[in-house]
Parts: sequence; structure tokens; C-alpha cells
Amino acid sequence: MSEFSHYEADQSALYSGGHHQDASSVESKGKVKKIWMVTGILTIVTIVEVGLGLYGHSVGMPKSMINTFFILLTLFKAGYIVKVFMHLGDEFKNMILTILIPLTLFIWFIIAFLMDGSFWLWINHYFGIR
Amino acid sequence: MSTVAVESNKKIWGGGQSPFNLSYGKIMMWYFLMSDAFTFGAFLISYGTTRFFSAIWPDANSVFRSFPYCGEMNLPLMFVSLMTFILILSSVTMVLAVHAGHCRDKKGVIKWMVWTIIGGIAFLSCQAWEWMHLYAEDAWWGSFRNGAGAEALPHFFKHDVDPTLFASGGADAAHKFFNFFFTITGFHGAHVASGVVINIIILLNTINGTYEKRGHYEMVEKVGLYWHFVDLVWVFVFTCFYLL
Repeated sequence: MSEFSHYEADQSALYSGGHHQDASSVESKGKVKKIWMVTGILTIVTIVEVGLGLYGHSVGMPKSMINTFFILLTLFKAGYIVKVFMHLGDEFKNMILTILIPLTLFIWFIIAFLMDGSFWLWINHYFGIR
Repeated sequence: MSTVAVESNKKIWGGGQSPFNLSYGKIMMWYFLMSDAFTFGAFLISYGTTRFFSAIWPDANSVFRSFPYCGEMNLPLMFVSLMTFILILSSVTMVLAVHAGHCRDKKGVIKWMVWTIIGGIAFLSCQAWEWMHLYAEDAWWGSFRNGAGAEALPHFFKHDVDPTLFASGGADAAHKFFNFFFTITGFHGAHVASGVVINIIILLNTINGTYEKRGHYEMVEKVGLYWHFVDLVWVFVFTCFYLL
């Protein structure tokens, strides 16, 4: 009875009790260490991105190659933020899938809309509109 | 499928507990953030479509080349890199506040929430400076405040831009670029501003001992999710606007 009354009132009391830990424990210190390690990774990736943006052109790297690096590095950063900072990596697999599966729509959105944009540019050239 | 899996499945979805082992509020925060991701995605994809449609486009290294108190020095992308770093750091201090909450360490939560709020305000101040700087260069929503045509705008483009394309489409491309710039960074800035307000409310609740009495700091986790999302969106805005 007590459990169910709790369930109807403040659910979060049931589901946030799991991770209580001692601030000075080894586990806690390991987690804090991991947070700072990820901070370092994100900072380095950002510096690499800016470096690529500034000097990639001057050494004559093709634009498509630089852009591929940018997109891969961005997805790498986004993955770390969601997995470690937002703790999505610690949730149930079903929960993770209900977030990730709808987001796969973006694959279609990006391909369809960018193709549409370049088609209109091409057809305007073809008919000499600009 | 084995019978064990079926049985455990029934147990998980049989009621009386959360199948995802999460509270309602946290699940709904995740789904809100997912829907918000589609809103930001729609903005950024329409930016991409317009850019693919345009034969000519402003060069980010030329538009974003200034740094406060450095006058006419050419410092492409330095200021926005600083802004990105500030937002990443405020995300770090937020995750440390969430961790302190797991440990029920009230002082830790207060300390890291204060740093997060400072980081958010610092980011907003940087964005205000960047907006004011571009406004001073007559860029704004719609068209340029001084009614400038392409002939007055070459400093926003690459030096080796095709002169024919520039004369016919330069002004139009610059208008579209700044419309998207102010709309998308403005929408993101509104998220940061509301995040700062919510963080302040959570900080006050923490100071008042609300979560200590409640026995857990889940509210810190929930605003933490929102705050990290704002950082996450900035990672994509940074790539789409300043790098690609």
C-alpha cells in the first residue's frame, strides 16, 4: 500500500533513489573524473574544428573533405554530450530507442531538403533565371 | 522468444512501476527535448536548403572576424570559439551539480548551480555583443538598415568571389544569411535565457532546502537535461553557421 501511494504522489522518489551515493566514495570520484575527461575531449575536438576551419583552406584541402570532418566531429561531440552529460547511456534500452528512432527522420529531412535546394539552383541556371 | 523473456516483459509492463525505470517528469522532459530538436532541426535544415539554392553565400570567416576590444584585427571564429567553450564549461558545471545531487550534497549543488548560471549569463553577454556588433555593421532582420546593396557588402564574402554572381545575388544572399542568423541564434538565445531563469529557480529551491526535505534532487537532473540540450543545439548551430 505504502509503495502505491508513493507511486501516485511523487513517483520520482521511487526512481531517483537508485543512484544515491557518497560524495567521497571511489565510485563518485571516478564519475567526476570521467566528467572532466569528457570536458577535455569536447574542448580538444572544438579546437581541432576551428583549426580545420582556419587552416584547412590554406593548405588546399577540398571543401567536401573539410565538411565531412566537421560533420563527423560534430556528431562525435553530440554523442558524448547525450551519452555522458545527459546520462542517456545509463537508461533502459527501450527508453533510448524511443528517443533515437524518431530522430532517424532527420536522415530523410536532410537529404530531401538539401536535394530540393540544389535542384532549384540547377533549374534556375538551366532556364537562365539567375 | 524464450518464456523467461516473455515473463520479464509482462512484469515490466504489468503496471505498478515505470517500465523505463524513470519518473513521469523525466520521461516527459526527454520527449519535450526530442520535439524541440525537431524545431531546431527544421530551422537549420531550412537554412541549409536556402544555402544550397543560392549560387553565392556569405563567408563565415569574413562575417565573424571580430573580437571585443580588438578593433579591426582579423580574428576569424575566435570569439564564437570562446562562446562555445563557455557553454561547454557551463554544461560541465551542470553535470557536476547533478552529480552532487545524486550524492545529496546540498553545498555542492549550490556551488555548481551558481557556476552554471554564471556561465549562462556569460554566454548571453557574448551573444549580445555579437548581435550589437553585427547591428552596428547595419545587418538586421529583413534587409540592411542602411539599405545597402551588393556593392556595399563585399566584406561579408570571400575575396575571390565571382563578380557576376556577386552583383546579381550578393545582396539577396546576405539578407537571407542574416535573417537565418538572427532567427536561429535568437531562438537558441531565448532557450539559454529561459534556462538561466529556471536554473535560478532551482538554485533558490536548493538553498531553501526543498529537495533536501523531498529526499532527492531529481529537479536538478531535469533542468540539467534541458541545459545540456541547449549546449547540444549550440554544437549544431556552431557547425552549421560558423564552420560549414
